[in-house]
Amino acid sequence: MNKPIRIALTKGRLEKDTVGLFEKLGFDCSAVREKGRKLILPIPDGNLEVVLAKANDVITYVEHGVCDMGVVGKDTIMEMSGKFYELVDLGFGRCKFALATKKDYDFYSGYGIKTIATKYPNVSRSFFEKKGMDTEIIKIEGSVELAPLLELADGIVDIVETGTTLKENGLEVIEDVAPISARLIANTVSLKMRQAEIEKLIKMIEENLD
Amino acid sequence: MRNYDLITPEGTKDLLFVECTIRRNIEKTLIEMFKSRGYSEIITPGLEFFDVFNLNSQYFPQENLYKMTDSKGRLLVMRPDSTMPIARVVATRLRDADLPLKLCYDQTVYRTEPALKGRSDEIVQAGIELIGSDQKMADLEVISAAVDSLKTFGMEFSLEIGHIGVFKALADKLDATEGEKEKIRKLIENKNFPALNDFLDTFGNNSITGALKKLPALFGGEEVFEKAEELIADDTISVILEELRDIYCEISDICGNSGSITVDLGLVNKTDYYTGLIIKGYLQGQGEEVLSGGRYDKLISEFGYDVPAIGFAVNVNGIEKAIIKNGVFPAEREIDAIVYAEPGFEAAALRSAQVLRKKGLVVETALFNDLESAREYAISRKIAKVVVVDSESKEVTE
Repeated sequence: MNKPIRIALTKGRLEKDTVGLFEKLGFDCSAVREKGRKLILPIPDGNLEVVLAKANDVITYVEHGVCDMGVVGKDTIMEMSGKFYELVDLGFGRCKFALATKKDYDFYSGYGIKTIATKYPNVSRSFFEKKGMDTEIIKIEGSVELAPLLELADGIVDIVETGTTLKENGLEVIEDVAPISARLIANTVSLKMRQAEIEKLIKMIEENLD
Repeated sequence: MRNYDLITPEGTKDLLFVECTIRRNIEKTLIEMFKSRGYSEIITPGLEFFDVFNLNSQYFPQENLYKMTDSKGRLLVMRPDSTMPIARVVATRLRDADLPLKLCYDQTVYRTEPALKGRSDEIVQAGIELIGSDQKMADLEVISAAVDSLKTFGMEFSLEIGHIGVFKALADKLDATEGEKEKIRKLIENKNFPALNDFLDTFGNNSITGALKKLPALFGGEEVFEKAEELIADDTISVILEELRDIYCEISDICGNSGSITVDLGLVNKTDYYTGLIIKGYLQGQGEEVLSGGRYDKLISEFGYDVPAIGFAVNVNGIEKAIIKNGVFPAEREIDAIVYAEPGFEAAALRSAQVLRKKGLVVETALFNDLESAREYAISRKIAKVVVVDSESKEVTE
């Protein structure tokens, strides 16, 4: 048997959704379900090896080719970019990037340069660059919603799922930036060197997407 | 002020001993192989004017260049690529030379890579450029040199060919702006199927968008040609596919057991100077391509001399990583003898050492004040022989 295909999964919800998908394909994922603290886990009947990592690291490992494939959100891909193939939209993990401000705040008025607080500076920059708008971008690590409330920023660019957090803090979405969902990515060399195995897996996955 | 006197800049490193030997061996193997095929080596300056890399059709993104100014304030860069300087040389000093010209090189290129990504800003590239022939034989010659370059290191490899013409012919038929075509090209290059499908849907559903959607999936073995012919009915593309298939079949024969040739019609490099055939080389277990090249028939004309060309470069650092990963280390040359001089016999000792070296031995001179220390040193370094030069000893003769 060949060396297993190593696939990096973003820990947390995407990991659970992917494992659910693999089980639908008929793979025995008990090792991943009962992982304890282990970070590398086998799915023997799929000849797969699952690596659990943080979203950004999924991209790093795939780019370097130490993992052949990865499951990561479009949000991370947009923020990090990098050299890899983005093969399949897995359809789960759906949410969106949106621009939000305090309720009834007229964001686009006036000549002053707007300040944006965000965890995703690259996404924010390219969004406003396309509009030809100069903005000041401040990177925030925790709850971005605080920044407009504390009057550090005019608006935020952040991931929005239901919008409940925004609403409870008196903020509202004024514009969608981009839709987000989980993507299956592959290292550029792995796809070529292990084409048959990877294509077979992709075909199975595509047939089982909701 | 903080001193950075104990570290090297990010993206650079010192190579010690065995790492250094590995690098030099790779360079030597490649350059000797190129020379054995009749290529002449050239060296271009490490510093060039920025303008060489800022042509109309082809430019390097400013943010990826190491820049400085000369004493007159003109903008210089540390060479980010070897092909463009060689194109400059061909269009100037070699303008009257007989064609075809076969040139090879082995030199470092410098590019700024994103920080903290584990990438190198200094990359050694060894490659060839065949200038002045657009014949099929020129393509075959260069591809077979590429196969030899990969094969020589004894690891499982794959050589991939593609042709930018397939994409260009399809894109030409599409009613899209240059910017939109570039976006499509990028999505195909990244095999970003979801975004490619969505974007092409905005151009309607026809045979052209259908073919473009499938383009990134058209990679693999010979079956790709049949799939492509079924999918795309276009005279220009049929001719290209036939040429590629020819090359594919001829090269399959020379790949041997350790390697394979594959085709990828979705190879649409960002390096826009390629006008036709594109070549990539991969080694099993290496996450990035180790060889890259293609046909660039229009590049040299940007320097005022219209002549076709094809070439490739091997990423020596990539091969180096693969060799280290596979654990096949070359043996460091052992020291055969150490020559110790008693006080007053230094010149005689130096002469003796030289005589031994002429016989093909690796010989050190001892740098100790007493024989005992020299002997201890010899034991710790596993040097088999200590030669003592004093009043008793006759000079070593041939």
